[in-house]
Amino acid sequence: MTILEVCEWLETTALGAIAPATLYGFQVLVGIHILGLILSVGTLLWMDLRMIGISLVAGPLSEIQRSLSPWFFFGFSAMFVSGFILFAGFATSAYENTYFRIKMIALVLAGINALIFHVMAKKMSADWDAAQPPPALVRFAGLGSIVLWSTVILSGRMMSYTMF
Amino acid sequence: MFMSLFAWIESTVIARSVGGSLMFTASLSAIHLLGFTLVMGSSLLVNLRLLGALLPQRALNEVTRPASRAIALGLAISITTGALLFSARATSAIENRTFQMKILLLLAAVVFHFVIQSRVTQRPQPGVLALRTTAVFGLALWMGLAVVACWFILFE
Repeated sequence: MTILEVCEWLETTALGAIAPATLYGFQVLVGIHILGLILSVGTLLWMDLRMIGISLVAGPLSEIQRSLSPWFFFGFSAMFVSGFILFAGFATSAYENTYFRIKMIALVLAGINALIFHVMAKKMSADWDAAQPPPALVRFAGLGSIVLWSTVILSGRMMSYTMF
Repeated sequence: MFMSLFAWIESTVIARSVGGSLMFTASLSAIHLLGFTLVMGSSLLVNLRLLGALLPQRALNEVTRPASRAIALGLAISITTGALLFSARATSAIENRTFQMKILLLLAAVVFHFVIQSRVTQRPQPGVLALRTTAVFGLALWMGLAVVACWFILFE
């Protein structure tokens, strides 16, 4: 089964019918998607700025991570679920859209970046928390996160103009 | 008189460039959302800190000062791109109720944050009740703006 065939099948499922076939379903889902994005990326940005060493530098990095994570994950969950339902409704058009592909690549890279940082932070958080300025690797991960999430936002908005 | 001003705005070269190019409009809209995300993320940081729900052990100024600077930067980005987007459809946008509400909420949120809330947070010993009250109003204004902005994108 090719990716395109999976996309075609997704559109025929009950999940795929929510956005295109229900009254205001599309608008409500896009609204939740944008609000979830604002909450998740808006809070993540402050962790990234702490990682770069620009802001909130007086306290340990792990404290910022602990405090901001629940807000990020709440926003991300809303964004992910609404995004997946929207994708299921327009999967073939999305699959063929260049900006959607850029968005997905940036999203996957942002996830890998976060995962690598999370695994390394568990081992080295004592050193990283105390380091001022933060180690080059931490600053690089923070900058990478800002660039990748900005790409997600920019390509996501471009997608809405070029897909429908 | 005002309508002729908005009609003139729409007839300018820049407005016609924006309106005549889907990619230009889309790019401006994308940057507009990026700026708005910066504004919303920073205002959330401020208001959740004032409520005590975020970074309660950090000094108020350590959180509110950089967040206010980020709000100002985000506003500069979103107002510049928003003005360019507005120029292409000035006459219809200005008569749109949702757009009018969006601009009013934006003005209210900005004045509230930079005038009222900043005065409360800069007091030597701000009371918990005062901080929490301004946080609730701040959250209501910024979240209201986000919802109305989404409504304008999706329904208008």
